[in-house]
Amino acid sequence: MVEPVLKLEEVCVAFGGLMAVDTVSFQVAPGEIVGLIGPNGAGKTTVFNAVSGYYRPTKGRITFQGRDVTARPPYELAARGMGRTFQIVKPFAGLSVLENILVASYLRYPRQAEALAKAWEVLRFIGLADRADLPAASLTLSGRKRLEVGKALALDPKLLLLDEVVAGLNPTEADQTVQLILKIREAGVTILIVEHIMRVIMKISTRIIVLNYGQMIAEGTPDAVARNRQVVEAYLGESGDAAAGATA
Amino acid sequence: MWILLVIAGVGIVPAVMTDAFFLRLFTEALMWIGLAITWDLMAGYVGYLNFGHGVSFGIGAYTTALLMIRAGVPFWLAALFGGVAAGLVALVSGWPTLRLRGAYFAIGTWALNRAVGQLALVLEVTGGPDGMRLPPFLHPQFFSWVMLGVVGATFLVLWLLLEQAPFGLKLKAIREDESGSLAIGLNPAKLKLQAYVLSAVPAGIIGGVYAYWITFIDPASTLGDLVTDQAVVMAIFGGLGTLIGPVIGAVLFFGFKTYFWAYLSDYQVLYLIILGLAIAATVFFLPDGFWGTIARRQEGRQALRKGMALTEPKGR
Repeated sequence: MVEPVLKLEEVCVAFGGLMAVDTVSFQVAPGEIVGLIGPNGAGKTTVFNAVSGYYRPTKGRITFQGRDVTARPPYELAARGMGRTFQIVKPFAGLSVLENILVASYLRYPRQAEALAKAWEVLRFIGLADRADLPAASLTLSGRKRLEVGKALALDPKLLLLDEVVAGLNPTEADQTVQLILKIREAGVTILIVEHIMRVIMKISTRIIVLNYGQMIAEGTPDAVARNRQVVEAYLGESGDAAAGATA
Repeated sequence: MWILLVIAGVGIVPAVMTDAFFLRLFTEALMWIGLAITWDLMAGYVGYLNFGHGVSFGIGAYTTALLMIRAGVPFWLAALFGGVAAGLVALVSGWPTLRLRGAYFAIGTWALNRAVGQLALVLEVTGGPDGMRLPPFLHPQFFSWVMLGVVGATFLVLWLLLEQAPFGLKLKAIREDESGSLAIGLNPAKLKLQAYVLSAVPAGIIGGVYAYWITFIDPASTLGDLVTDQAVVMAIFGGLGTLIGPVIGAVLFFGFKTYFWAYLSDYQVLYLIILGLAIAATVFFLPDGFWGTIARRQEGRQALRKGMALTEPKGR
């Protein structure tokens, strides 16, 4: 079996008495796009924060590319090849679009000329090259979300964690972002994605993991997950067959 | 290249203008430029308002005085140690204070300044409130050149690190979003500490030069609030986040102060009032400072030519 890029073993994250993530275990294999879904407050972003080093797991083990990285700081994980975006985008607002990408490029390309070349390559890839000199604050939401992806891509990641990069976009923009994600996967990057928009997640994911109240309630192909009774209940409430029939 | 030319050009001035009063002003103006640009390194680039910058200056001054008087160390070596001492204090004090953000960092560093000032006041070795007298070396030209060398070298090093090397952009990323900077592989704790030490060392050396130049130091003149406050005002006057801004701010501010005390001394009660109003007006009408406003206008013209939308100026 191929070694998984990412492996979570019984990971728990507690805030005081609240179990935000409760004994979650899953793996992500190279080349996969794994979708992480669940109702609001299910613990999706908390899983992201634990994986990317922003939160220290209360229990459990996280392995990245065969190495135990539990509770390692985010910058170390970035250096090891993990890129992430934020649901609430974090552009360096006062810097230009180019500078936003450039400062991330320094991680792999400490020389100015190479970093600049990498930054331009990423800008063209995400379609923001024509706005390179504008301040990041002047971008639209769609632009800022793409910039967020670009900053992560500038790290040459092996694994990319995308946190709601489609939500809030209009249908045209959403389609463009979906194309972008598929293009990133073609470039050989493994992707773990949190997304609210089912149309998107069902279309691009090779596998889906469903969280509810911090626990994993289902895992499987998009089709199997969509037919899973527990998943339907989690989303629509426990109304039984009628609801299940309506979404199947 | 042009920086070296400017520094060399300014270096000719003390050779031509040998008037003692002028040389004193010249040296002091350079000193304030040095303090303003090193303060701006933390405030403008990293976004941390250090209200204890005077600590570095004072530690440098006292270290130099102590080494020269008690240990007979030659001046240049003593001043260098002054910088090292200031850097070490920054390294130790930065560890806890740099964990604070915003107003808390400002209060923490301000409190540190008070504590160190009080220490100099009660210790016997520092002469307490009576301060220390250094062996007089009355050679105004010498000091203007030394100050120019130290401040010029500081400007050059900061320019290379902040404007040419990746270091400056990394600091700005921390300023813009510290938690976001973690995700792109930056270690803010380490970078902030490096910047903090980098701003302290030159300020310490400048303090050492000041001590030998003025030949007398006491807690009020080297560790009082005024050292930090004036550097702060100059940097904000000129514009944060650039190297040129604080230089312009220091020259303008120092020029105003000198003119006022030299020619309008009958109205000296008005000095702090006018100064206060000028600061308030700057913050209100030119939040980016003089240089920042000019640079923004240039940017605006270019953007209009390209038909692009302008962004709101960022209030600081």
